[in-house]
Amino acid sequence: MACLFRGVVLGGLVPFAAGPLSPQNSKFLPKPMSHQESQEMKSNNCQGLPSRMPDNTAFQQQQLPAWRPSLTARAVLPGFFTTGVFFLSMGILLILSAKSVKEIEITYTDICSNCSKLRENASNFYKECTCSISFFIPEKMPGNVYMYYKLYNFYQNYRRYIISRNNRQLLGEDITNVENCAPFQRVSNDIPIAPCGAIANSMFNDTILLSYYPNSSTRINVPLLSSDITWWTDKHVKFQNPKSSNLASAFAGTVKPPYWRKPVYQLDQGNPENNGFLNSDFIVWMRVAALPTFKKLYRRIHRIQQFADGLPAGNYSLDISYNFPVTLFKGEKGVVLSTVMWSGGKNFFLGIAYTTTGAVTWLAAFSMTAVHLKLKKKKAFFQC
Amino acid sequence: WRMDWKRDQLEAGRFIKRHCLSFLYKACVLFCFQNNAIKTSKYNFFTFLPMNLFEQFQRAANAYFLFLLFLQLIPQISSLAWYTTVVPLALVLSMTGVKDAIDDMYRHNNDKKVNNQPVLVVKEEKWMNIKVGDIIKLQNNSSVTVSTLFPCNLVSFGFSGETNLKVKQALTVTSNLGDNLEKLTTFKGEVRCEPPNNRLDEFTGILIYEGEKHALNNENILLRGCTIRNTDWCYGLVIYAGHDTKLMQNSGKNIFKRTSIDHLMNILVFWIFLFLVGMCSILAIGHGIWQTQNGYYFQIYLPSEETVNSPGVSAFLVFWSYIIILNTVVPISLYVSVEIIRLANSFYINWDRKMFYIPNDTPAQARTTTLNEELGQIQYVFSDKTGTLTQNIMIFNKCSINGQSYGDIYNMTGQKMEITEETEKVDFSYNKLADPKFSFYDETLVEAVKKGDTMVHLFFLSLSLCHTVMSEEKVEGELVYQAQSPDEGALVTAARNFGFVFRSRTSETITVVEMGVTKVYELLAILDFSNVRKRMSVIVQTPEGKMMLFCKGADTIIWELLHPSCIPLQDVTMGHLDEFASDGLRTLAVAFRELDEKVFQSWSRKHYEASTSMEDREEKLGLVYEEIEKDMMLLGATAIEDKLQDGVPETIATLIKANINMWVLTGDKQETAVNIGYSCNMLSDDMNEVFVIDAKETRNKMKPGSLLGTDPVTDLLTRTEMKTFIVPKEVANGSYGLVIDGHSLAHALEENVELELLRTACMCKSVICCRVTPLQKAQVVELVKKYKHVATLAIGDGANDVNMIKAAHIGVGISGQEGMQAMLASDFSFAQFQFLKRLLLVHGRWSYIRMCKFLRYFFYKNFAFTLVHFWYGFFSGFSAQTVYDEWFIAFYNLIYTSLPVLAMSLFDQDVNDLWSLRFPELYEPGQCNLYFNKKEFVKCILYGIYSSLVLFFITYGSTYNSVQSNGKDISDYQSFALIVQTSLLVLVTVQMGLETAYWTAVNQFFIWSSLTLYFSLMFLLYSDGLCLLFPHTFKFMGTARNTLILPQVWLTILLTVALCALPVIVYKFLRMEFQPTKVEKIRWYPRSPFYLRASSRRSAYAFAHQQGFGALITSGKNVKSRAPFGFGDNYSFHT
Repeated sequence: MACLFRGVVLGGLVPFAAGPLSPQNSKFLPKPMSHQESQEMKSNNCQGLPSRMPDNTAFQQQQLPAWRPSLTARAVLPGFFTTGVFFLSMGILLILSAKSVKEIEITYTDICSNCSKLRENASNFYKECTCSISFFIPEKMPGNVYMYYKLYNFYQNYRRYIISRNNRQLLGEDITNVENCAPFQRVSNDIPIAPCGAIANSMFNDTILLSYYPNSSTRINVPLLSSDITWWTDKHVKFQNPKSSNLASAFAGTVKPPYWRKPVYQLDQGNPENNGFLNSDFIVWMRVAALPTFKKLYRRIHRIQQFADGLPAGNYSLDISYNFPVTLFKGEKGVVLSTVMWSGGKNFFLGIAYTTTGAVTWLAAFSMTAVHLKLKKKKAFFQC
Repeated sequence: WRMDWKRDQLEAGRFIKRHCLSFLYKACVLFCFQNNAIKTSKYNFFTFLPMNLFEQFQRAANAYFLFLLFLQLIPQISSLAWYTTVVPLALVLSMTGVKDAIDDMYRHNNDKKVNNQPVLVVKEEKWMNIKVGDIIKLQNNSSVTVSTLFPCNLVSFGFSGETNLKVKQALTVTSNLGDNLEKLTTFKGEVRCEPPNNRLDEFTGILIYEGEKHALNNENILLRGCTIRNTDWCYGLVIYAGHDTKLMQNSGKNIFKRTSIDHLMNILVFWIFLFLVGMCSILAIGHGIWQTQNGYYFQIYLPSEETVNSPGVSAFLVFWSYIIILNTVVPISLYVSVEIIRLANSFYINWDRKMFYIPNDTPAQARTTTLNEELGQIQYVFSDKTGTLTQNIMIFNKCSINGQSYGDIYNMTGQKMEITEETEKVDFSYNKLADPKFSFYDETLVEAVKKGDTMVHLFFLSLSLCHTVMSEEKVEGELVYQAQSPDEGALVTAARNFGFVFRSRTSETITVVEMGVTKVYELLAILDFSNVRKRMSVIVQTPEGKMMLFCKGADTIIWELLHPSCIPLQDVTMGHLDEFASDGLRTLAVAFRELDEKVFQSWSRKHYEASTSMEDREEKLGLVYEEIEKDMMLLGATAIEDKLQDGVPETIATLIKANINMWVLTGDKQETAVNIGYSCNMLSDDMNEVFVIDAKETRNKMKPGSLLGTDPVTDLLTRTEMKTFIVPKEVANGSYGLVIDGHSLAHALEENVELELLRTACMCKSVICCRVTPLQKAQVVELVKKYKHVATLAIGDGANDVNMIKAAHIGVGISGQEGMQAMLASDFSFAQFQFLKRLLLVHGRWSYIRMCKFLRYFFYKNFAFTLVHFWYGFFSGFSAQTVYDEWFIAFYNLIYTSLPVLAMSLFDQDVNDLWSLRFPELYEPGQCNLYFNKKEFVKCILYGIYSSLVLFFITYGSTYNSVQSNGKDISDYQSFALIVQTSLLVLVTVQMGLETAYWTAVNQFFIWSSLTLYFSLMFLLYSDGLCLLFPHTFKFMGTARNTLILPQVWLTILLTVALCALPVIVYKFLRMEFQPTKVEKIRWYPRSPFYLRASSRRSAYAFAHQQGFGALITSGKNVKSRAPFGFGDNYSFHT
């Protein structure tokens, strides 16, 4: 068997080349037959092999068949032109798509400056502060419209902040488990906080209502949905309420996070299902943002009645119950209303980047072609 | 009874035996002589884990990672989960551990095998149980396993693999004991000898027996590793056993060699480390500033810890956190991967069939597995001559008898003809005892023999008598000669074929079959060979009763001892000798003298006195010999061809074309060396000049003005401190060769002129140093190493090359011809010099290219990987938050990216082996260190930085203010991490694809399977089940499912890869267009007029070359010191 193999591979010295330009296939250089090889030929009968002769496998003799690609002009230049075309068209597509997204942002930190001031003092914690902002939507926002809250200069990605949570508690298995939640593990009398940790404690707790004024006298509350604003996996796997008939009793033995007004089982009084760890706003908040400026999905516009096709153009107002202090850390907050396309929200970055890359690729392709054609003449006289 | 003997013997022996040794050694030896059990293994079952771990943590890299691990245990600092460091560290430690364990098991087995060999210790015993002081019996053809001093019989022996036999002899006092077991067991004596050492050719000791002192020297000792021949048995006393034996002492000591890439890597790792500290400091400062500007106010949501009360403390802690995170710029797997790559490339050398020598059944062997890439950077090759360039097989080629030259053949017109395969050989069928392998072409000599020419007969008779060859005749008529030196064998074989067959010898007689008639000559004396005398003589009494002295020796010596009447003949013979020498043949003169009975008797008495004197025996004997070796009659001269090995000229030509400087260092005399130089292409007729010796003048001729102070190099020389300085490359105005001999070299190597020598020699195409001692060989290598800072390789086969082999960056041993000492000291060994070209141009080149590609890629991929954390720091409050999932950090180097790069560094070939050999120019980039140097390193670092910037900011841009198409989150931390790490992985894999020049199935498999593995592991690690089981360890649940289905994520990945890979392609393409490398030229323009070397195989010495280098003067002492054995050493007119 071994002998058979040896014979085969020896005959197979040829296969280690591929591609028309690889040197092994060149006709101009005869393959030299070294002395050793001829020795091998002679002694390649089974009996005569010396005992310590290494095996003649393609692997051991480093002659595995291989593909040897090379950056030839013939491969590179068409490749560049094609890539350029692809990037350019993709870029234009992305720009058009982003352009068709309608988006409105209202930053209300300054507009509601008296509320902002009020919240700078912790002693006003239980004082209500509301703020109303009217604005105008010049164009109709067709299709699904989403309402986001946006925070500036809020470092959700700070390492100590990110790790300050307990996933096991959020699974509802052991709500007294507050490991890793420093510095919001327990309140002073040693009762565990549920949900514990800095992330949960700092949850965004403004309430935002949107009203539409079809005419100066009529005011219609825009119906908002708080369902289906989280990742499915978060809502159904990662966050679970402790098993109990009554949510309130399930959370017995724990206290609410210090900055919260209501305990976790009373977050949404309108919808009993949307309470505890399964509260959508809570889940959205707990998915921390990558960057210090971020927006998070707050509500979806319920597409009924006038809003079946999205938000019509016209006058609107926001009624904000201002609870979340941001000026203390030089932050800002706002509301964003936006439609979406297949490529996401109103973000031109990808489109512009693609267009630019495509253009530059074309430029590179042209200049490489020029260089190649110019040097080609020289190569004809090439001497080594 | 054996024990009795032992007790008596050892009580006495142990104490006194080594009492001339150092005090310390004596104290030790007193109680613990080595037994013969050899233990090369390091661990046993229980000690393995602690010892191995202890050893591993002594390495700086491992200790560093252990330190990092401890840092991670501090909660304030820990920025990464423990497993990100533990997993790689454990993997690395266990891999090294497994390798060590396998090595050790192998050693255990080896030890066991060796230790259990049976041996006759008067009573049958196992090998390992032999102790110092035992008497053992050795049989013919058995191998010696301990260093024994042996009291009985006369033995010749050879090291395994060594062709030359050495004669060993017992002391007369002990040889009388014979085969008498009883006497042997009751033998009482004391031995004092030197402590164990590694000098194979030296031994001194004293045997005290019955109150008398007997000197012991090298000829009384048998060394471990040799084989007994020509005797049925011998008894020996064990004096060194186990690790004390000279062989073990020799093999144990290996100088730790490191490659230049190793040195460079250490420097670079240090740089990287500084870079790391720099980055961490920047981030720490950034953190301090951030804390005062933002963090302080953010405390409502994230109160700072009690212990961390100021931005400064916080910054300090963050510094260490960043050290942990960014440590991947110096990846732990680097060193392990480098080791694996080197090991694999060493295996390729062992496996190479084209470096396997069939006649000897010897494969090439990489004995050191850590030097491979250095093979691709060699600039100087120092070669021994005999046994390395030449075969050390001597062939009786020509002779001059009584003024008549034989050996050349002439055609009808009287023109000299070249001897080829077809030339008809002389028919020796008239002589039944002729050696069929012997060939001779000149019929006239046979005719002369047949005619019965007295001088011719006398000539051959002297050849058949005057030697120390032993004959063996197992089958009637089939004589096998065992000679100490091959030239002696050649001469005796020649005499045999011409009809003067040396058949057998005893210590008193020599039996010769003279033209079919058996005659017994009485051997009266052998006048030994020595390096000073350079001749040997025998005095015999012919069957007719005549006393005859036959002498052969170096021509210059013999001339002085001739009778004045020989002068005319001497002149003619001298002419012939010049001719022979210019053909590269080794010559000996042969003379005889008829002795008067009375003269001999009186001389014989003096000889006896001298030979029994205890003091200055050598000198006295020499004087006595001189007395009788005079007034001799010249018979003629012999010429022996020293055959070149196969393919030597081609190999040297190839190496020279590869810009490798070839220096031959030989102990041979000048003209022989020069001739060999011509015949193996080192010197050629079209060289402008071949200089002999005088260094200063020479350089002036090659580079006029270089002696003046205005020459930049000279200027530099005078201004720079000698020791620390590198001689720059100088170019001569033509092609030159240099020949220098040992005497001149001794002067030239002195402090003040060694630079002169070096500058001159390095401008020459080839350099030949003749008549050099082993020490000088090493000095020359050291000289080049010291001032040139280039990679050197020394190749040799004999004990005299060991110094040189150890001194050079890479030592290569030729295994087979002269024994195994050179091989034992070498880093690589193979059977034929011609394999050197394959070792360097194919294996070395590939190893170098692979290693460089590996390092470039490795540094790149880790910089691209790690620096993203740095950029992220600016957007995360410098809080040491990682960009990636911690599992990704743990697996990145070890699982996701390790296999493709490993496949590349195992299989990559830019051109295949035949092309590497055909175009030796391709070797040059390695010599100039072009593929991996500081500049290349900076390039890949810059590219890594660029890639990390692209990775971070493209993802930043595309997720900023963006949402999924269903309005949900995409700019969350986990999605961001997933996008960046997926882009990174795709990017480095694409980059790998761009680097790979040779796509085997394995490469394809590894690349695709790495990507597949990444995605499947991603889905596994982010799966529901794992998250529910360990919600703290697997936090990224669902991220892959939610993110990787989005078009904009894939568009981001594509954009990132394109932005990083396209510039590389443009760069490569343009570089290829403007400045194609040699490889590319060869690959792309096969039509260009490359010159092809005709690969016809020329027989050695077929070149015509310039004649003569003045008088053939053999001056100076022969430098290869070999202690004389028995009655005569090899005629070392060779090395």
